[in-house]
Amino acid sequence: MAGDHADGEPTPRPGPPGGPITRRALFGIFVKAGLAFGGGLGILAVLEQELVTRRRAIDREEFLRLYGLGRIVPSGTMTALAVAYGYRFAGPIGTAIALCGLVLPALVITVALTAAYGLLQQHRWLLELLPVTILPAALAFIVVAGVRLGRDVFRPSRELLLAAAAFLGAVVLQLNPVVLLLAGGAAGTLLFGRGRRDREPA
Amino acid sequence: MSLLELCVTVLVYNAVTFGNGPVMVPLLQADLVEGRGVLSSDQLLYGFTIARITPGQANTYVAAIGYMLHGLVGALACTVAIVLPGYLMLPLLWGYQRLRGVHLIPAFTRGLTIASVGLIFAATLSIGRATLTGWVSLVVFAAALAMAQLLHWNPLLVLAVSAVIGLGARALGWA
Repeated sequence: MAGDHADGEPTPRPGPPGGPITRRALFGIFVKAGLAFGGGLGILAVLEQELVTRRRAIDREEFLRLYGLGRIVPSGTMTALAVAYGYRFAGPIGTAIALCGLVLPALVITVALTAAYGLLQQHRWLLELLPVTILPAALAFIVVAGVRLGRDVFRPSRELLLAAAAFLGAVVLQLNPVVLLLAGGAAGTLLFGRGRRDREPA
Repeated sequence: MSLLELCVTVLVYNAVTFGNGPVMVPLLQADLVEGRGVLSSDQLLYGFTIARITPGQANTYVAAIGYMLHGLVGALACTVAIVLPGYLMLPLLWGYQRLRGVHLIPAFTRGLTIASVGLIFAATLSIGRATLTGWVSLVVFAAALAMAQLLHWNPLLVLAVSAVIGLGARALGWA
């Protein structure tokens, strides 16, 4: 499968097209993954079960390595994994097959629910109910997402200072959030880029 | 806002947030709601509601925004825009070791995620000012927050109970 990689370069090339998984099976696996709840980790669990445990199409070490690589791709980890596995098992066409499978369930449901919102707009009294019913709940979900992302932020730390600086930059200085995000990334590179992991607990 | 502009916007925001759905909310709020004014914060919230009750990736709700602005074509185009950067995975697979500075990306995304925590709370304030107008909305918000954050209820259940509280208050003529 990976005959041509040089010494000292443990990263094998993606396997040749036509691996042990057919196009139909590939599509099925990724539709199943796209139907998983729980965001990225829910999807990852399905992929692990299908590709590693059930079909043994890939070993666990390789699976974890690809997951680690996918995390640094700016598209969302699961999208990157769909590209990687699609290519590995069915070549360039496979990437499209896996991506379609992955997004199809969410896309269909999203479009249906958004179309329902369009129908609400024809009945003003229904539309006026949204701000006292589900919209405040949606805002609560955003807060919950913020708290979850900041699990290791809310304690006296450099992390807390960075998050607070971004908050003040947005609220007080009205800076563009893209600029603030990238500045946060740059600060992270400086703060956490060296000595990774070994002095985690501090 | 043209379809192309929308796609480029979505592609860039998705890429700079590394495909994180919630983190995209502050960017979309600042640009599409407060900047260009093509979307209301209620519409953005509705889109995010969909994200919470839909399986799959949490960033697919941009398809809702695409649909609101450009119909079915907009939904499809926005979806393509968020998956396209996934193809960067291929060069990474081939030349991971040869790319210098790749090992710094986890530190970069860590800093980005931490900054996004501040931005999400900033966006919550600004969306809240637009959406939580009456005290019934505030009560429903507080109740939903307690259900989701403290009781860890399923999002569908949180939405259902929130709707019942809001509808009850309306029926009693409180709002």
